[in-house]
Amino acid sequence: MDIGAIWDLIILEPVINSLIWLSSALFGSFGLTIIVFTIFILVCMYPLTAKQLRATKGMQELQPKLAELQKKYGKDRQALAREQMRLYKESGLSPAGCMLPMLVQMPVWIALYQSIIRVLAVTPEGFLSLSQYLYSWPIVYSTLPLANNFLWLDLATPDMFIALLVGGSMWVQQKMTMPRTAEPKQQAQSQMMLWMMPMLFAFFCLSFPSGLALFWLTSTVIRIVMQYYMTGWGALAPAGAREPGGRDKRLKQRIAMEGGHKKEAPLDADIVEPVSTPEEELGYEESGDKRQDRGGGYPASFRPVSRQPRRSKGHRPKRR
Amino acid sequence: MWIKYNRILLSKVLLLLVILLVGGAAALGCARTGAVPRGWSGGTIADGTLFFGSMDGKLVAVDISDGSQRWDPVTLETSASGGGFGCAPTSTAVAIYGNLAVGEGLFYVGGYDGKIYAFNSNSGALRWVYPRQDALQPIVGGPLVALGKVYIGCSDGKLYALDAATGDYQWEFPREFPTGDKGDKIWSTPAIDGDTLFIGSFDKKLYALDAADGSKRWEFETEGAIVSTPVVYNNTVYIGSFDRYFYAIDATDGSLKWKFMAENWFWAKPVISDDTIYAACLDGKVYALDAESGDKLAEIDLESPVSSSPVAVDDLIIVASEEGKVYSVDTGDNHKRELINLEVRVNAPLSASQGVVYVHTQEHEALYALNAQTGVVLWTLPLTSK
Repeated sequence: MDIGAIWDLIILEPVINSLIWLSSALFGSFGLTIIVFTIFILVCMYPLTAKQLRATKGMQELQPKLAELQKKYGKDRQALAREQMRLYKESGLSPAGCMLPMLVQMPVWIALYQSIIRVLAVTPEGFLSLSQYLYSWPIVYSTLPLANNFLWLDLATPDMFIALLVGGSMWVQQKMTMPRTAEPKQQAQSQMMLWMMPMLFAFFCLSFPSGLALFWLTSTVIRIVMQYYMTGWGALAPAGAREPGGRDKRLKQRIAMEGGHKKEAPLDADIVEPVSTPEEELGYEESGDKRQDRGGGYPASFRPVSRQPRRSKGHRPKRR
Repeated sequence: MWIKYNRILLSKVLLLLVILLVGGAAALGCARTGAVPRGWSGGTIADGTLFFGSMDGKLVAVDISDGSQRWDPVTLETSASGGGFGCAPTSTAVAIYGNLAVGEGLFYVGGYDGKIYAFNSNSGALRWVYPRQDALQPIVGGPLVALGKVYIGCSDGKLYALDAATGDYQWEFPREFPTGDKGDKIWSTPAIDGDTLFIGSFDKKLYALDAADGSKRWEFETEGAIVSTPVVYNNTVYIGSFDRYFYAIDATDGSLKWKFMAENWFWAKPVISDDTIYAACLDGKVYALDAESGDKLAEIDLESPVSSSPVAVDDLIIVASEEGKVYSVDTGDNHKRELINLEVRVNAPLSASQGVVYVHTQEHEALYALNAQTGVVLWTLPLTSK
């Protein structure tokens, strides 16, 4: 059995038949099925998604420190690499931390994408192909072919409006994850990513069945909500209002409060010095990020837990 | 500096990776899902000429004696263009699925571009096209020519009747859909018995219509969509459905005579020989059923889905599986024999004349002429396709 057959057997067939079954339960609406199934998959993958979002946010917050290290060790490549690794290690982050959850999720999204395309079965070839993925459940045979109409959409054909919605929502998501940096080159890169990805997906949507665009739109909107809940609006917030939001904000507030009555142990003072250039200072002020939880060391939220005195639930100090 | 450079490089590589991943997944998805319409027209034989449509939208007329072409192929093209990376067609060639129909000096074809064409059989010159402006929804089923009319189903859920000589509109069924209903596709090719038309629909129904005016005589509802072409024999309509059942329905009143359950959809048109129905199924089997009672006489396992309609040649049923194996089934004992393994995909209906079977393949596109008894290839017509 080749890898394609294994993929079909253990991934595609269950997803395809589940989609058809769900569609029969949702009044035969395949549009509703795509939305519900996408939410279900995102809920199942929440731990991975959360890990990825937090790691991305963490990497963004490390950028000023990385910039400081570059300034300090710019000419000594070995020392720079060593200190960067040390910074990553101490903060509990790594560049791979952003990519790994994404890579793990990728097969699931590809499976969902392939399943939706197959179930939509636009052409006769598509129908013939679909017939080989069906379980012998009577409900599957009586439900097909699925109704392709949803709201104003014919899910089997491309739609301009939903392509714009996908592009717009991806822009919002991209903007929320955009790193705040004063470096012109990095800003240019961020700007490129900010516009390239939404435009690319909007272009794809103009060529694909709108059922697939509905799947992309749903997943992007849910990710925006998750991202807001975990990391706030990010770079999307207007200047002067960029307070980290959601749970992250509460976490930082807690850390700041705890830091107020309990002085933390210094973190590798020989490596990281609070060397902030006037340019960076200006950058933070402009961005409105008060960064009150940061001293001269690493971002408070990434300080290693092991450096904090371990507290049991019964001995939690009272907050004032 | 090198870190900055590396970061810039990394983000570029990341962007490229995402583009490649999405584009690759899209291409892979399209390729494996068959989201691009290519067509699988079978051949129709009249006066020693076989007419069929190739996968690059060409209409071909072949002299069945030697495989030479009667005239230069006519190409059907559409001005509509698809998107580059998506699953929309990037080619302007029109996909042709249904068999062509031949009538009084003309042959007829329905295109996936939503148009019905009539061409001169002797020269390939276009006689008429319907509609003259715009287009209907994609046409998948083949046309039927009878009683001076061309009947053809469309993906807009309607069956159209046109004047065979001029292409003038005669009538359509249904004339209107219930409010809020867009209608389900009709991919089935109609069949006629006397003055009654029979056609299946994605709405899970088989309709019997008055061929003169399109009024409905009766309807029979199954549990699944109907794509296969019905066959009428001894006042009984035989048809398979997506609900895995094969039905025998009284042609007069639409009542059920019997039904037989298989393991997958019925797509191919059944064939009848000596009161035995041979129904090919996508479960990889051909079922030999008693036409009167529906009793299963034999189950011939081809180990690959069968979407290509079989043909009867003397006392043999010739059938091709999707993986390209061509078999003969002896109608006396229902034993199969592999004639040849073409090793390419076959979806198109088979056609036959004077002991020769014609197979249009959908991979390495070609038309094969095979001896029905021995499987020997008499000639091959290679066809270029994009």
